[in-house]
Amino acid sequence: MPGLVIHILDLLTALLQASIVVVSLARGYTRRYLTINLYLAASTIVLFLRYYILSQHGLSSGEYFYFYYYSDALLTIGLYFALMGLYATVFDEMKAAQYLRVFTILLLIGTAAFSCAVVQQSGPRLFTRYVVEISQNLYFVGLVLTYILWGAVLKLRETRTRVIQLVLSLGVYFSAFAGNYALRNLYPQLHFVWEFVPPVLGCLLPLSWAYAFWRIPEDARIAPSRLAVVPR
Amino acid sequence: MSRKLTVVFLATLVLVGAMSLKTVVVTHGDGSIVMANSGGPVPPSPWKNSGGPVPPSPWKNSGGPVPPSPWK
Repeated sequence: MPGLVIHILDLLTALLQASIVVVSLARGYTRRYLTINLYLAASTIVLFLRYYILSQHGLSSGEYFYFYYYSDALLTIGLYFALMGLYATVFDEMKAAQYLRVFTILLLIGTAAFSCAVVQQSGPRLFTRYVVEISQNLYFVGLVLTYILWGAVLKLRETRTRVIQLVLSLGVYFSAFAGNYALRNLYPQLHFVWEFVPPVLGCLLPLSWAYAFWRIPEDARIAPSRLAVVPR
Repeated sequence: MSRKLTVVFLATLVLVGAMSLKTVVVTHGDGSIVMANSGGPVPPSPWKNSGGPVPPSPWKNSGGPVPPSPWK
């Protein structure tokens, strides 16, 4: 039964992700939010491919294992670029696109090099360990970058409601995973609860993004004073 | 300091911060893999040596039955 619930949540996640891509195509947002749409499209395809490989080879198969972790690494890189796409949107008016590109590539190379250094002394299956390590490291880089972006949104008085919604959703998403990890370590006996949290979170991010694309108009604005408490 | 050097410095700073955070979290964690991506049944951490039922990775967006670790 828990497996069924999780499969339904996965299906819902895939539908939401696909709907965002379709809505973006229909309304002409694809180019403006290209990295996000590419990430969501890739994520949907990977999800279906995972279930296909699972049905063909089984959960304990090497095929599924390798496909899962390798595709996860690629998706993490995709999520990283989606986040940097949001950076480009927020810093658009500062004409800092060139520096942002350099920053993005440098950080990615730095993370890759650090991951390489970490797994260098590993024994067999070095490349697979490297793939998992870089996914893990990029998760933390993404977490830090999201909080920095949120700080920039407040500092620059960003008022575009959709951009704020996208950034905040990503921040909550990253933070909730970390919170779930911490709580799971604190209360391991509640494993039946923690089992459901990741798929629910995985569903909430596309749901929040879908709301941003479906319901929030491109020109919608929100007052910065409602986002930040300014000390007087 | 030129702008390009500033960019290099900021990238290094973010990397150091992120890796420090990772070190703190993973040191106090249970050895699970930290990731944040889309669904599908989750394989266990490939470096864990446990033989019993494996909890799902907390950073994945999905669950399902977990295959055994091929690293044992």
